[in-house]
Amino acid sequence: MDRPIRIALTKGRLEKDTVRLLESLGYDCTAVHEKGRRLILPIPDGNMEVVLAKAADVITYVEHGVCDMGVVGKDTLMEMNGKLFELVDLGFGRCKFALATKKDHPFYDGFGVKTIATKYPNVTRAFFERKGMDVDIVKIEGSVELAPLLGLADGIVDIVETGTTLKENGLAVVEDVAKISARLIVNTVSLKMRQQEIEALVRKVEEKINDPADQV
Amino acid sequence: MRRYDLITPEGTRDYLFEECALKRIVENRTREIFKSMGYSRLITPGLEFYDVFSLNSRYFPQEELCKLTDQKGRLMVVRPDSTMPIARVAATRLKDAPLPLRLYYTQPVYNFAPSLKGRSTEVHQTGIELIGSESRMADVEVISAALSVLSTVGKDVPVKLGMNCSLELGDVRIFRELMHRLTATPAQKEEIRDLIEAKNYPALNDMLDKLGDDRITRALRKLPTLFGGEEVFARAAEVFQDERIQAILDSMQALYRTIRSLAGETNVIVDLGLVNKTDYYTGLVIKGYMEGYGEEVISGGRYDKLLADFGYDVPAVGMAVNVDAVANVIGKKYAPRAVPADVLVAAEAGYEAAAVLCADKLRETGLCVEYALDAESAEEHARTRGIARLIRIGAEGEKEVVL
Repeated sequence: MDRPIRIALTKGRLEKDTVRLLESLGYDCTAVHEKGRRLILPIPDGNMEVVLAKAADVITYVEHGVCDMGVVGKDTLMEMNGKLFELVDLGFGRCKFALATKKDHPFYDGFGVKTIATKYPNVTRAFFERKGMDVDIVKIEGSVELAPLLGLADGIVDIVETGTTLKENGLAVVEDVAKISARLIVNTVSLKMRQQEIEALVRKVEEKINDPADQV
Repeated sequence: MRRYDLITPEGTRDYLFEECALKRIVENRTREIFKSMGYSRLITPGLEFYDVFSLNSRYFPQEELCKLTDQKGRLMVVRPDSTMPIARVAATRLKDAPLPLRLYYTQPVYNFAPSLKGRSTEVHQTGIELIGSESRMADVEVISAALSVLSTVGKDVPVKLGMNCSLELGDVRIFRELMHRLTATPAQKEEIRDLIEAKNYPALNDMLDKLGDDRITRALRKLPTLFGGEEVFARAAEVFQDERIQAILDSMQALYRTIRSLAGETNVIVDLGLVNKTDYYTGLVIKGYMEGYGEEVISGGRYDKLLADFGYDVPAVGMAVNVDAVANVIGKKYAPRAVPADVLVAAEAGYEAAAVLCADKLRETGLCVEYALDAESAEEHARTRGIARLIRIGAEGEKEVVL
């Protein structure tokens, strides 16, 4: 038999949602639940194995073909811009990229070049390039909301789920940048070399997530 | 201050011993194939004017080109691709040469890869260009060369590689035909192309929803899903139901059958959704895959309009092999060992010329002969290097030492 299909999952919430999805398809994910500190876990009845990684690494592993498939947020896909197939919108992990600034602050006013703080410099650059706007981008690693409050930036581009963090810090969304959700990605060669196995799995996943009676 | 005197730039590397040997295996094999098919080698310069790569037919992203200027301030690039320079040569010095031209090359190309992603700036490629024919046989010739590379690249390796290979055929004319009939802005069309290339079904559907529901948008939705074996042609015929597209499909299917009958153990697959942004292809597209490498190891196709960009309107078809990728795949199953010399020749002081003559004579018989640079420690040198024979040359003539 060929080596198992390797699926890289983004550790944390997407991992849990994906495992729930796989279980609802009838796969035995016991090993993933009892993983301890192991990072590669078998799904015995599916000739599959699950690899747990950080979001950006999921893309790297799938792009290089050391993992055949992956589950990762659109946010990371937009930031990394890899060469891979993005087959399914899994529907979970929904949120959005938004441009936010201090509440009641007219972001677009004036002729000065704006400074934007973000964890996602590529997404930010692409967004403002489309608008034909020059901006200074400052990469922030932690809570981006601090930057406009401290006066470092005019605005932020960040992931917004409920908007509570923004509100509690006196910030408000100016404009949505893009919608985000979890995606099923596939290596470009794996899809061709192991088409039947991968397509069968993709079809099952699609049927499940499109079934309104059975939302995961 | 010299900070970078001991390292190579990111994306480049030194190839030593086994790495070099693996590359040579691939290069020698492909050269034998190309030569036996009547191709002549050409070498183009490492540096070219930027203008050679700034054409309508193909887009080279600025940020990926390694640029420099000449003494007059003109912009040059380190060759990012070999097909464009060959098109330039064909359109200039070879303009009056009888067609078809059969040319092959073995040389690196340079494209700045995204930082820290494990990709190389310098990629060694070998490939062929068949210029001056749009015949079916020209396509078959180039595809069969690709097949030979996939099926015989392991021939010179003493272990059985036993890996799966696939050769994929596509044709960009179907996509072009659909786009030609689609009513959309150029920006929308570019986005559709991106989404088809990424097989991003959900986003493609959303995008096409905005453009209405008709035969064209329904066909575009299906385009990226049309890949697999021969059954793809029947599915495609049903999806498109169009005379002009059917004609393309029929000729593709005939080509597919021809190639499959030649392919042996290599899988032959079809993908009608191969629509790469940076390609200059106008019809047939081919890709070769090897198990254990996450990207294509061969890529090529028909580029009938590229030479016209250089003022010489002739059709052409070609393909390139990523030598580093193939060497990498082979290297996972086979590590070439450094072979020691057969004989060590040690000369007493004053007998150096005699040693050289003796060694040359042995080399004529096909042996690999090394000199001992320090005659005293010759035995030890032979033993540590694994050299089987030692010959001492001195006042008493040639003397074979028992090791």
